[in-house]
Amino acid sequence: MILQAEERVRRSIPTEPLTRPGGDGDGPSRPDVKRPDTNELLRRMRRVDPEQARRYRQRSGE
Amino acid sequence: MNRLVGIETEYGLYVEGRGVADQVMEAMNLLRNCPFPAVRDCWDYRLEDPRRDMRGFRVEQLAVDPADAQIEREHPITLSEREVRNDHVLTNGARLYNDHAHPEYATPECRRLMDLIAHDKAGERILLACARAYAQKAGTTVKLYKNNTDYHGSSYGTHESYLLTREIPFDTLATTMMPFLTTRQIFAGAGKVGVEVNTTPRVPYQISQRADFYMDTMNVETLYRRPIFNTRDEPHAKMRYYRRLHVICGDANMSEYATALKVGTTALVLDLLEEGWAIDFFIIEPVRAAQSISRDPDGKWLVETDAGVMSAIDIQRHYLQAAHTRFAGRDAETDWLLREWETVLDLLETEPELLSNRLDWVAKRQLLTLFAETEGIALDDPVMIALDLAYHDIDPAEGLYYALVEQGRMQTLASPEAVELAMRQPPADTRAYIRGLVVECYPSQVESLNWERIILRNEEQTVRLDLSQLLGNLRDLNRRLTAAQSITEFVQLLQSPHRASETNKEARNDTAG
Repeated sequence: MILQAEERVRRSIPTEPLTRPGGDGDGPSRPDVKRPDTNELLRRMRRVDPEQARRYRQRSGE
Repeated sequence: MNRLVGIETEYGLYVEGRGVADQVMEAMNLLRNCPFPAVRDCWDYRLEDPRRDMRGFRVEQLAVDPADAQIEREHPITLSEREVRNDHVLTNGARLYNDHAHPEYATPECRRLMDLIAHDKAGERILLACARAYAQKAGTTVKLYKNNTDYHGSSYGTHESYLLTREIPFDTLATTMMPFLTTRQIFAGAGKVGVEVNTTPRVPYQISQRADFYMDTMNVETLYRRPIFNTRDEPHAKMRYYRRLHVICGDANMSEYATALKVGTTALVLDLLEEGWAIDFFIIEPVRAAQSISRDPDGKWLVETDAGVMSAIDIQRHYLQAAHTRFAGRDAETDWLLREWETVLDLLETEPELLSNRLDWVAKRQLLTLFAETEGIALDDPVMIALDLAYHDIDPAEGLYYALVEQGRMQTLASPEAVELAMRQPPADTRAYIRGLVVECYPSQVESLNWERIILRNEEQTVRLDLSQLLGNLRDLNRRLTAAQSITEFVQLLQSPHRASETNKEARNDTAG
């Protein structure tokens, strides 16, 4: 079998899993329920167009 | 995980000013603007047979949603199937295409849970880039939602695929998976405002997006009359040796943690089956049980079994205990799963709100409650559906899930670097690497490709590369393929009889547990 390669790119192969069990970051183990900073969350929620769900129609998928 | 696993996600698509009848064209337009290198329009459908049923027969035709059929009658598409499908295979080994008017991203086959998490998130980023490119070109708003419903009665899927040995009898597989799949929504549900079928009393919020659409305990359907246990028999590997468990009853998770727990525990149950373990009870009326659990997020989640009334948590603990007995200490990934599975079941029983940084349905409910209390409105106010939808917006600048991530309120598993890498590179140890390598290095010589076969050609000849037996850990082979200096050497490495027998034996040992 002979196929001529017109293009060939060298690539490195990752040797470790892309992430580790337990995560790479220092995400919280539980939410801060004492002093939640909710202002930014509420700001973003108020930006949501209340009509968007009414307009949102989809075809059935598989 | 000792098996190949993948997730395929159909995304909800919204293009400003366009309606449901335009959705096929809009999904095509979005994919035409994919800014990533890919082999296009070469997907090989010849090995696919979605009508083949694990129970040993083949249905004449698959059921169609009547509402969807009406749209097709009133707005027929005159383009070719190839144009409509708009198939892409990417350098990371993933498949991207238009499936029933939804842009669908199928991750490459993964063997490690955390690879799968990174690739699932990579799919979001890739689709987002497509949406932005199309929005800029068309001068309009384009949004993509990773969810499973339009809140008007149409659902679209997030399917999981698990390779397993065919030695497990179908009845054992189905009866053991059924109670698990019926109840795993308590940690894998994405949460939904309202109900899309007629029920009394009214349900303001439920655990699962998909539960409303279950109509059958098991069948081969995916588009209508959807089951809890899908019996499609399409292994994408040697049928003599393998099955593919095609799970279609799950929700699309934004939470990486929920995805990991959903897929990881399902893979552990398959490990149990391959060890010869089987469940010793069954749920009476699983569809009714699943919907009852979903529609009662604060309930005890009691279901009727042939062994008496059991809670969903206790049913899950039954599987957990069996997995813990057999697999504790096996490897770090398994130990992480066993620990998290136990923790989550305990918290669901005692303090479910503490899971708002891990589980979608809990996080979403907490967000909606915060908004309702602050704004002085009820949980069944129509704006709640818009907020529910916005939770699934994959744009980090707009989506409500991503607002939680931004504030450190969701536990993430994949680093941004890992997701970035997964957008370009396939997992290092599966056959997806071979697919990705071909797309990156030899795209002009691809005649066709699919999950289990690649056909290369030049002017005078074609070469078939059979991937159907390359199911084990291929890290060493992939390393050698990467070092190949020519396509000739690349093909020779893949066609080596020694290599084929070696990897086949390894794969069968793997799937045997």
